[in-house]
Amino acid sequence: MKMFSRGLVSTALIAGVLVVHTSAVAGTIRIGATMRMISENGQKYGQMVADEFDLINKNGGINGNTIELSLLNDECKSDKGVANANKFIHEQKVHLIIGSTCSSVSLPIVDVTAQARVPQIIPHSTNAKITQKGSAWVFRVPVSGRYYAGVNAKYTGENIGTKIAYICAADAASQNDCDAMQDQMRRQFNAEPAYVAQVQEKEVDFRTHMLKIKSANVDGIMIAALAETMSRALLQSYEAGIGKSVRRIGSSSASNAPVPKIAGDAVLGVFYTAAYAAADKRPIAQLFNQMVRDKYGIHAPDHDFSQAYDLVRIVEIALHRANLNLSDGSLAADRTAIRDAIASVDGYRGLASGPISFCAAPTPQCRDGNKTPVLIHYTKGGEEFETEVLARVPMPINFGLE
Amino acid sequence: MNLVVTLQGVGGFFGRMERTHPLLPWLLAIVALLPLPLILSGLFNDYYVYLANRICIFIMLSVGLNIVKGFCGQVTVGHVGLYAIGAVTAAILSTNFGFSFWMTLPAAIFIAGLAGVVVGVPSFRLEGAYLALATLGLGESVRIMISVTPYLGSSTGLGGIPAPSAFGFTFDNFTRYYYLVMPIALVGIYLSFAILRSATGRAFQAIREDTIAAAAAGINVRKYKLLAFVISAMYAGCAGAMFAHMRPGYIHHNNFTIIEMVTLLLMIVLGGIGHVWGGVIGAIIVTIIYDQTKDFYFYQPLLFGSSMVLLVIFMPQGIGGLIDRYIVTQRFIDARREAGDGTS
Amino acid sequence: MEALLGFLIFGVTIGVVYGIVALGISLIYTGLDIVHFAHGEIYMFGAFLGLVFAHQYNVPYWLAILCAMIVTGLLGIVIERVFYRRLTRAGGGYTVAGMGMIICGFGMSVVLQNIAFLIWGADAEPFPVNFGMPYQIGEIFLPKSYVATAVAALVLMGGLHVFLKKTKIGLAVRAVAQNKDIAFLMGINVPLMISLIFGVACAIAAAAGVLIGPMQSVQVEMGYLMLMKAFAAAVVGGFGSLPGAILGGLLVGIFENLGAAYISGSHKDIYAFLLLILVLMFRPQGLFGVEAKVKA
Repeated sequence: MKMFSRGLVSTALIAGVLVVHTSAVAGTIRIGATMRMISENGQKYGQMVADEFDLINKNGGINGNTIELSLLNDECKSDKGVANANKFIHEQKVHLIIGSTCSSVSLPIVDVTAQARVPQIIPHSTNAKITQKGSAWVFRVPVSGRYYAGVNAKYTGENIGTKIAYICAADAASQNDCDAMQDQMRRQFNAEPAYVAQVQEKEVDFRTHMLKIKSANVDGIMIAALAETMSRALLQSYEAGIGKSVRRIGSSSASNAPVPKIAGDAVLGVFYTAAYAAADKRPIAQLFNQMVRDKYGIHAPDHDFSQAYDLVRIVEIALHRANLNLSDGSLAADRTAIRDAIASVDGYRGLASGPISFCAAPTPQCRDGNKTPVLIHYTKGGEEFETEVLARVPMPINFGLE
Repeated sequence: MNLVVTLQGVGGFFGRMERTHPLLPWLLAIVALLPLPLILSGLFNDYYVYLANRICIFIMLSVGLNIVKGFCGQVTVGHVGLYAIGAVTAAILSTNFGFSFWMTLPAAIFIAGLAGVVVGVPSFRLEGAYLALATLGLGESVRIMISVTPYLGSSTGLGGIPAPSAFGFTFDNFTRYYYLVMPIALVGIYLSFAILRSATGRAFQAIREDTIAAAAAGINVRKYKLLAFVISAMYAGCAGAMFAHMRPGYIHHNNFTIIEMVTLLLMIVLGGIGHVWGGVIGAIIVTIIYDQTKDFYFYQPLLFGSSMVLLVIFMPQGIGGLIDRYIVTQRFIDARREAGDGTS
Repeated sequence: MEALLGFLIFGVTIGVVYGIVALGISLIYTGLDIVHFAHGEIYMFGAFLGLVFAHQYNVPYWLAILCAMIVTGLLGIVIERVFYRRLTRAGGGYTVAGMGMIICGFGMSVVLQNIAFLIWGADAEPFPVNFGMPYQIGEIFLPKSYVATAVAALVLMGGLHVFLKKTKIGLAVRAVAQNKDIAFLMGINVPLMISLIFGVACAIAAAAGVLIGPMQSVQVEMGYLMLMKAFAAAVVGGFGSLPGAILGGLLVGIFENLGAAYISGSHKDIYAFLLLILVLMFRPQGLFGVEAKVKA
């Protein structure tokens, strides 16, 4: 039985590795954020959220309480995201969870927060299913994918044509955008897709698809993918000889800064729907653009920046309203109070193009805060890109749910 | 030094136990591990119970990998593919067909075992690096298939996988789930012991040491290689089902990438390739260290990658080998001292 | 018909790049008896270094390729000397049941990827190179970058051939690849030759990285998929055979593009693996019958 005793030695060794965590101090509001930190601008979104909470603390905090933010990376992987959420809930005993960037991570976390009764507010995920799960604990700041699709389809069908080819990357948000767009084209114009290609999340070679699309003679190409994948597809569509007359339609990630940077002139004329346009003329938007440019070195913030910023402001408002005890025994009550306070946010006007409103019912109508997508197209590519707003479209609240 | 003496005492105690009945120490181990969630949530918090569950799943994976890699010496890098097959099988059977965990678990083990045959067949003709290439390709193909096939979850993943239940008792939180996965993991460890001690295990080791000599000694090399692959695949399938049914019951193709494979490799390298406890030690340590270093996410890959490189170079036998050497040396010294006492 | 020609052109342009990386992998296999699993990351480093030379130091594109090759080659030599040498010294690098070097390669790839991330960040970097207007053959546009890639591949291939077959050092390299003990007895500096082989292989990978930059942009995670495709190319062409590597690369590139075009575009990446597994199972010596010695 020597093997057994050897095993015991190792278990004894491991016990020493566990670090004892100190219990949290009362008077602090603990917030856990899980995001995709090692990617595109993920790090900068996270940094901005942390900076904004720091600023709130510096200005006296929330009703005298300070905010303690803990930021973890989930690599856009659902198992890591769930582990982070569990760590926040059970180990750090947070009052609120912010997360995640990727829809495929937010989806399972919704179940975790619903079971543990912790409010969760989503900064970037657009997949429509997130709020359709019926959790009373989830809030979404960005525009749901179901609204984007309606606007894209209407504009496409009325101005471009109905013969559309689709390139859909295998990440949850893009997939949802792609499916919803096809569905809307069917509903609004009775148009079947001319060509559909499912590609890897980080596909590098699209030229075969582009050549097939070229021979299909389409009116437009919908490219639903994350920023870098999309920009490669845009570039290669020109390499394959698809002319400018065929319009390129982007999914909402087209607003991310890497797209014009990598795609360069290939981005001209690409239109997409997003929650925020850097071309926004309102003073608040101009100030925000300036702040992001100075602090984070980004020429023009995309809507993931604005959504993260709006999220911080909404959380700030809600925390001011919530009646918090912040003692060890009042954790569950505080979590419920924060949830109810977020649900009471109505008609918040920030960077998003329309008002953001929540309500108490655990339905998508209540929990998809932003209902106003903006239709944008690129007028200049490269690092110093420029965009133009085509339309702001307040959507009917039930759109895309039937 | 005292620790070793104590442990040898404990080992001797269990040794006597085992002579009474071979299963006795294992039953004792189950009993000893029963109050662990209470201890963990009392001393720390529920999150550590969750970690214990994750560790049990990783133990299944790495013990299975150790059978084909450590015992039989076949280089496979496609283990996550089999894990994915198990998870997807369990997910589809339970969500689309309403099977319970007690049906999906054997089904996942069976399907993964079949896939193990596919992975194992190339091993008839290929060795070393060639086999690594073939299995790497197979494992990645499985992930790509899942990611582009809507029925298998595609990019949205498969969600809503129900928690297992038995006699009205639902394993729907960490503590409850622990009482499901801990016994399964222990059975897995026990079976790997049983295999190693059996004629099959000896055949595996013979193949590892020298394939040609093993064949000359009358071992059916193909049969045993295939068997090793199938057994390890069944472990992976079991781990997949355990992962799929764990709260919140959601799987996604990017849970099964090359990074997860590298983590698994690190586990068995750290624990000791071919050491009976290697997979167990590695799974426990790597999971805990991964969790404790979460705040340093920018440097985590550097930490894990470089420890793999350095381990292979400076400590190829892993922690298991280190413990072995220490205890064996200690026993040798003890034996000499006793012998010396006798003569003087 | 024109579409078919288009698919073939795409297959060939990406195929030569697979072939170049496979060339390095084969070279390492013949010289050091190891399969280098971190070669994809070497390729990624080469691409980033090329980008740094071309954009930060404003070096012309062809010179950027050369600079990236030299720096990456040196990097490769350092990695081999410091880490791999300790494993290969113990006999072909198979310490723990024949898998030490494979695991070490995986670990190294994770380390290199993280270092690149810490230096250059996770953003994909565009690598714009102005080659001018594409050639036009009938309805088909042939970007000049494709032609440049193909030409560069031929130059590399030819250069390596001349180096191995016509120079004295090349002879020494071949001797080391054949039998290290006898090469040593012949007075060849075997450790130096091994470093040289590894360095040349890394330099070739860097060239591939810089060549593909304008086509696919440069990103920290670009190495892994390329590694898989290059492995497929090396195996299809016969592991360890240098002309086979390029032919294998072309075959993999054409096979996956035609597969994506006529079978199912969604499964594009699987075709290379399929080819890899089929060849490994039924013709481990490669499709072109080049008899490569099968090492463990």
